[in-house]
Amino acid sequence: MSVTQYSSLPCVPIRKVGTEHSGSHRVPLISFLIVALFAGLVLLPVIAHAEVPNAIPPVGTYDGEDVKQPIEFPHNIHADVNKINCMYCHTYARRSKVAGIPPTSKCMGCHSVIATDKERIKKLTEYWEKRQPPPWKKVHDVPDFVHFTHEKHLKRFVFDNEGMPVEHVDEVCAFCHGEVKKMTVAHKVKPLNMGFCRRCHEANGGPFDCWKCHK
Amino acid sequence: MNIDKLKRRDFLKIMGWSGVGTTLAGCDLPSTVTLEEGKETVTSYMVPEEFVIPGIGVYYATTCQECSAGCGVHGRVREGRVLKLEGNPDSPINRGKLCQMGQSGLQTHYNPDRIEKPMMRKDGTLTEVTWGEALDLVDSKTGSTSGLSGDRFAMLTQTISGHQAVLLDAYLESIGSKNHYVHEVVNNAVWRQVSQDMLGDASPRLRFDRAKVILSFGADFIGTWVSQVHFATEYSHFRTSPRGMLIQAEPKMTLTGANADLWLATRPGTDGVLALGIANILVSKHGKDISGLPYSIQQLIKSYNITRVQEITGVSGEHIVRVADVLGERSPSLVMAGASAEGFEHGYETVAAAMLLNIILGNVGETLESGGTFPFPQLDTRTGNTSDLLAFAKAAGEQRLDVAFIYGANPVYTAPDYLGMKEKLDNIPFKVSFTSFMDETAAQADLILPMASYLEDWGTHVVDYQAGEGLIGVQQPLMEKLYPETKGFGDVMIALLKMRNVPAYSQYDDYYAYLRDAFTSLPAALKIQAGSEKVFWDQALQKGFLTVNRTKQPLATRTVAINLPEMSQDSGYPYRLIPSARLGLWDGRHANIPWLQEAPDQISKVVWDAWAEIHPKTAAKLGVKEGDLLKITSAQGSIEAKVYIYKGIHPDAIAVPLGQGHEEYGRYAKGRGVNPLKILDPAVDKKTGELAHHATRVQVAKVAKPHDNLVRFGGSETQVGRKIVATVTADQYERTEGGSGHVA
Repeated sequence: MSVTQYSSLPCVPIRKVGTEHSGSHRVPLISFLIVALFAGLVLLPVIAHAEVPNAIPPVGTYDGEDVKQPIEFPHNIHADVNKINCMYCHTYARRSKVAGIPPTSKCMGCHSVIATDKERIKKLTEYWEKRQPPPWKKVHDVPDFVHFTHEKHLKRFVFDNEGMPVEHVDEVCAFCHGEVKKMTVAHKVKPLNMGFCRRCHEANGGPFDCWKCHK
Repeated sequence: MNIDKLKRRDFLKIMGWSGVGTTLAGCDLPSTVTLEEGKETVTSYMVPEEFVIPGIGVYYATTCQECSAGCGVHGRVREGRVLKLEGNPDSPINRGKLCQMGQSGLQTHYNPDRIEKPMMRKDGTLTEVTWGEALDLVDSKTGSTSGLSGDRFAMLTQTISGHQAVLLDAYLESIGSKNHYVHEVVNNAVWRQVSQDMLGDASPRLRFDRAKVILSFGADFIGTWVSQVHFATEYSHFRTSPRGMLIQAEPKMTLTGANADLWLATRPGTDGVLALGIANILVSKHGKDISGLPYSIQQLIKSYNITRVQEITGVSGEHIVRVADVLGERSPSLVMAGASAEGFEHGYETVAAAMLLNIILGNVGETLESGGTFPFPQLDTRTGNTSDLLAFAKAAGEQRLDVAFIYGANPVYTAPDYLGMKEKLDNIPFKVSFTSFMDETAAQADLILPMASYLEDWGTHVVDYQAGEGLIGVQQPLMEKLYPETKGFGDVMIALLKMRNVPAYSQYDDYYAYLRDAFTSLPAALKIQAGSEKVFWDQALQKGFLTVNRTKQPLATRTVAINLPEMSQDSGYPYRLIPSARLGLWDGRHANIPWLQEAPDQISKVVWDAWAEIHPKTAAKLGVKEGDLLKITSAQGSIEAKVYIYKGIHPDAIAVPLGQGHEEYGRYAKGRGVNPLKILDPAVDKKTGELAHHATRVQVAKVAKPHDNLVRFGGSETQVGRKIVATVTADQYERTEGGSGHVA
């Protein structure tokens, strides 16, 4: 079932009651771009593969299925070669429970000028011109009875974590998503089951009440 | 272990241990707690609105359409789906509250039985067609070249107002028809007529907050009467500092009756006599001056002395005096009348007798105020009633109609059997049902136009009862249509108007375009602040309503002739049938909502079924116990329902709830319980022509079938002498607990 577009409906939300988000880490997107470019060009090769301070990464592996996506999106070119911060595209991760698939407009922000001759970009442009977002397949998910929030995890391991540069957020993402920057399309490499969550919460002093996740 | 012998405690033990086992073992089993990858699509936005963050709700204001009270709603929308409805705190109607029917609007919207495509009757069966085919057929039957004559066209709708009513009127005018029938089973048409005749205002504002006593003759104002969510808040004001006293007189206890300080079981049809009896004591004992009233009314009041009233109503003299004392001593008070007073051949006069008490007690102008006139009559509400249903049936029966459009009404279900609605509808060659569900009427239609749900549609709504300032409720879609081939009512009306070549509407692509334009032509005084039309429009949608001044005049105090007949006895049919409405299933329109089926009836606590509610004395006389099957027979037919025994009903009455007994209407409603409306006697209120829905005489007999439990919550009707919250008196507390100085 596809997600409906608001933009095609001319209804007007109540902005004063509008959003619920905390608003504590609102970094303008453009600064990420600048940071990413800077880091990519100058800094990162020097301090690559830094460890996440004050954190014991969760233990466990899993070999998921290869999921065929409508476009074979190369995470490696974006995140590894060009050193673009994960949160530049998955911008909702620090604001919401879900990280969000980037809006197609975000892809086209760069790809209306960059690499327009590539097959994959041609396909993307086709979707864009049809005004249809690509039907991406879900790879990482938890059941509906599990409340998992990206926002709180990023707060704990990145923004409230002293000595953790936000440029290295991919190290934190990798806790649950593996080294996505070495993949093309996402491949599930962590079990993401209750034992996996539980052990990490134990090791890092996370909340342990049943209702924290099952609410 | 024998499963029959399994005790609740053992069951819990087993579940407890197996639960622990599952939890510990299940933690690391990927097969049970992870999901398959690559099976679900996760679609991104093309260009998101700046305020949209996936996973976080955005709130939109709209107007509830689950009944005609018109409450303001805030809907939480996430990822393009509406997930939760709550009351709009700014709305003067419901002030942030929303009843169970409003909350369940989601299940009207997401209902799996929604009709997704237009359907046309071909060779006797309904077949899916395209909108093009559907509208072509409508055009050939009603378009400008169809030769349809205006008086042979009719529209039967639910209560309708706002710009939808404007379009509807324009359409009727283009055809040259005056046949707009507005039908609601749960209505207050008789009260409206009496108020109009006696006070000069059909919908007077009721000042609960000023009243010290409320006497209600069957007006279930926190359940089903007029604007229940609004009145519930008003009632809470009435009940606090100083606490007002609520007296409810009715043959069957309603939700309001259950909240009363004094509940009086009146013999069905005698509420008016009780009102006049109270008036009699107010005059004789409390010296209320009635010299200003017509001589005939004075004589009438005098004739209802306490002995006579006691005998007719079955209410004890002691109680009658007590009610009169309370009313005489505490002023102002408020007297209301609802379904159980209205539903007889002398319904108008019964309500008039209640209204007379307001005049005698000097409540008019105090607790009854002018509701005012809505400044835009073209947008004002067309309130529904049952006399229009009878008129529609008559027109159909006399073969006076060629085409009928039916929107929001389900006459085949709500009409009593004696009307023969099914057969009469067959007299209409072309019947179009504007509906979201396959209800009894749609099943008989020649064409079904599938409607968008109210959470997918545009609209404006003006309600009959408005507190203080008037308002126009604004309805906007909260999400894209679930089924692309459904259309909003306004969109279809615009298409129909184009077929009739009405020039004023040819410029609009859809209802939205019309509404935008209509808003620009609203008077400047309405516009929330000076600014562009866009600002006005956006603010109206954000707020959910527009405030409109209603012009108010002082109320009149006129009297009308009252003549209350003796309630005749018929030994063949010794009981009166009460088709009782409740907040929930309402008139049956919500029987397809599982949440409302599951929500227990407020009095009997029965779920998913209909029942026959009788007094313990009646039960003893009939030799039945709860769950026994009872056959209830009127001169028009019979229904069978399980017995529910309760003291909150007059021994002469048998109550069967409205709402069940659907022959169609989807998986949750179909074939469940019985519909008491089916066996109503052909009686109408003599003044208003409203269906006398409480007047039916019935006989009952136990059906010899194996006993079956009535499924309901709670096993007991009393607290068996134990208090839910234990309390002690202040004296006792001082004595036994050491008083306020003592800290335990």
